Formats: sequence, structure tokens, C-alpha cells
Amino acid sequence: MRTTHMMKAAGLVLAAVILGLLVVQGSYALWNKQASMAAGTVQAADFRISLTDTNASNTTDMTLPNGTAATLALSTSPIGVLVPGKPAYAGVAIANVTNASGDFTVQATMGTVSIQNDAGGLAGFLNVKAVAAASLDKCPDASLFTGVPTSALPSESIAKNSSTAICFQVMLAPTAPASTVGKSASISIPLLVTQKS
Amino acid sequence: MNKMAKGAMATGLGVILLVGGGGTLATWNQAQSASMGSIVAGDLNLAPSATNGTGQWATAAGTKIANIAAYKVVPGEALTYTQNLDLTLVGDQMKATLALTGAGVDNGFGTNVGVVTTVAKGAKTLTGVTLLPADSGAITATTTFTFKVATTGRDAVNATYNFSTVGYKLEQQAPTA
Repeated sequence: MRTTHMMKAAGLVLAAVILGLLVVQGSYALWNKQASMAAGTVQAADFRISLTDTNASNTTDMTLPNGTAATLALSTSPIGVLVPGKPAYAGVAIANVTNASGDFTVQATMGTVSIQNDAGGLAGFLNVKAVAAASLDKCPDASLFTGVPTSALPSESIAKNSSTAICFQVMLAPTAPASTVGKSASISIPLLVTQKS
Repeated sequence: MNKMAKGAMATGLGVILLVGGGGTLATWNQAQSASMGSIVAGDLNLAPSATNGTGQWATAAGTKIANIAAYKVVPGEALTYTQNLDLTLVGDQMKATLALTGAGVDNGFGTNVGVVTTVAKGAKTLTGVTLLPADSGAITATTTFTFKVATTGRDAVNATYNFSTVGYKLEQQAPTA
């Protein structure tokens, strides 16, 4: 019985010593001094590219607030149905509207044209040419597309707070058969914009 | 003569005897100064330089950034923050170490940034080594914030990195016996 009491007492003393050491560990500190860095906060810029149709009210950011890619339906000139041998024109202005403080130049590159929802074999008679221009008002100019192959994929460098335009010419071949009359197809042109190093 | 009068007289006589015999207890004695001099404490301090202690951000090209809160960084940029500090170490047995404290608060950059801080006096790196009084003087802390070129997509747009919790700690090391 006496041994048990002594062991309990020893355990109590040991616990007290350990607790005491833990509590007073700060008392071993020597001189020390801290200085603040005071470097503030660094913030990343936005990566914002604006797309605008020839109809200036039809505009969107290339990336929507939810992070998905935007789709911009382009207006054609002249408006209406496509007639064989008579081209229609469209265009999109691409603006680099970043808030970056330093240099921030981007490269806008057009992807391969694809035609969806093709009915009646219309796609086989459609030619789409793309060419870069200084502004959208140049787009309805046939001479802009002279000598430009349909396979050409414009790639333009756009400096911070600048813009460029890519114009499109859509032509229905004069040889289009009657089976294409009244048919429709949607032309999709992907656009990739990357930061230039 | 009553008892109270007798008591008062006896008390008075005792006091008179004490006064009269005050000097009779003295023996030879002498005082001597120890000549130990004065003990002077050393010093340990780390503070922004009194002359040019305001930190400065700059671009990789060396262009100073007037207000980092208004600056927007993009992938591929490396910003550098430079701060001049005064290091004071005084003491014959003084030894100390200098280390960074705290970590920046990253809100969205993730692995797309690299942050490296060095503290040096001239060509000598002062962090991770034992400092002596000879290391006292003007020192420079440099922090490089690199927004990696490898950043993809729109990763880290509008992200922030707050350095307010980062600092430097100068800590004395116990003198050897």
C-alpha cells in the first residue's frame, strides 16, 4: 500500500516537472528582434480578350465569367441568303483589353474552319477565306481576299490595349447544284489567343 | 514614588546608558573599493535602414514600381523587392542567426509562382549562418516573385499574394561557456 502511494507521488512530481518545463520554456529565450518585410500584395493581371462583330453592339469577352469559351455569331454583309458567285463578308475585332501593368502581347490565331449541320451537301460548295485587317470596316472589300488561299489561317500579334480584325469571305461556288438551294450550314471558326513570351 | 515613576526613571537611565556607550562597541575596520569597473550590455537589433529603409519593388528590367497594390503581374514576369536593413550585433560573446518568419498568403497563384528571399551583406549570404558582430552594418533583403512562364490556360488570373505576414527574425545564440 505504501509503495503505491510513493509511486503515485513520484508520478505526480514528474508530471508537475514536465508541465513546469513546458510552461516556462519561453524563459530560455535570448535577445531577438523581428522586422517586417512590408512588401505589400502582388496581384495577377486579368487575361481578357474582347470579341466584337461588325455590328458593334454584338460583343463578348472571349472567356465568359463562368470560365467557358464564348461563341460570337457574326453578322454577314450583305444580309440574307447566299447566292452562288456572290460573296458574303463577315469579320471579328479582337481586342487585348488586359489590365496588366507590364508588357502583355498576345497572339491570336485562327483555327481550321469547320462546317456543321450541313444539309444537302452545301459544305462542298462553300469557300471560306480569312485574312487579317486593320479594322472591321475593311472586311467587305473583295480585293482584301485576292490571292488568299482558303487554307490560310491568319495569326496576328496584338499588343496591350490594341486590337486587330480578322475578315471572312464566304463564297457559294457558281457550280452549286440546285439540290443546295434553301439548304443551310453553320460555319465554325475557332480562335486561339495565347500570351506571347 | 509610585511604580510608574520608578519605571520611567529606569527606562530613562537605560536609554542614557545606551547613548553613552555607543562608541564603546567600535573595533578596527577599513573599507576598500573592489575596483570592478562597470559591466556594459551589448546590443542586438534589426531595423529598416534609417537612411533608405523603405522597400522597393522593381520589374526584371529594373523599372521601379511606385505602388505594388496597383501593379498587375502576368506570367513570365519576375518582380524583385529590395529592402535595406541595419543589423546591429554588439557583444564579445554575441552570436546570432537571421531567418525569415511567416509565409506569404497565397490566394490563387498556387504552383504558378516561385518566391525566393535572400538576405546578404555584399556577397555574403546571412541567412542560415552564425552572425558575429563583424557582420553588423547595412544589409539587403531581396525577394524575387516569379510568375512562371509555364502557367497555362487562364490559371491564376486576378490571384493575389500577400507578403504582410513575412518578416525577418534576428535571434541571439547562447554564448558558449
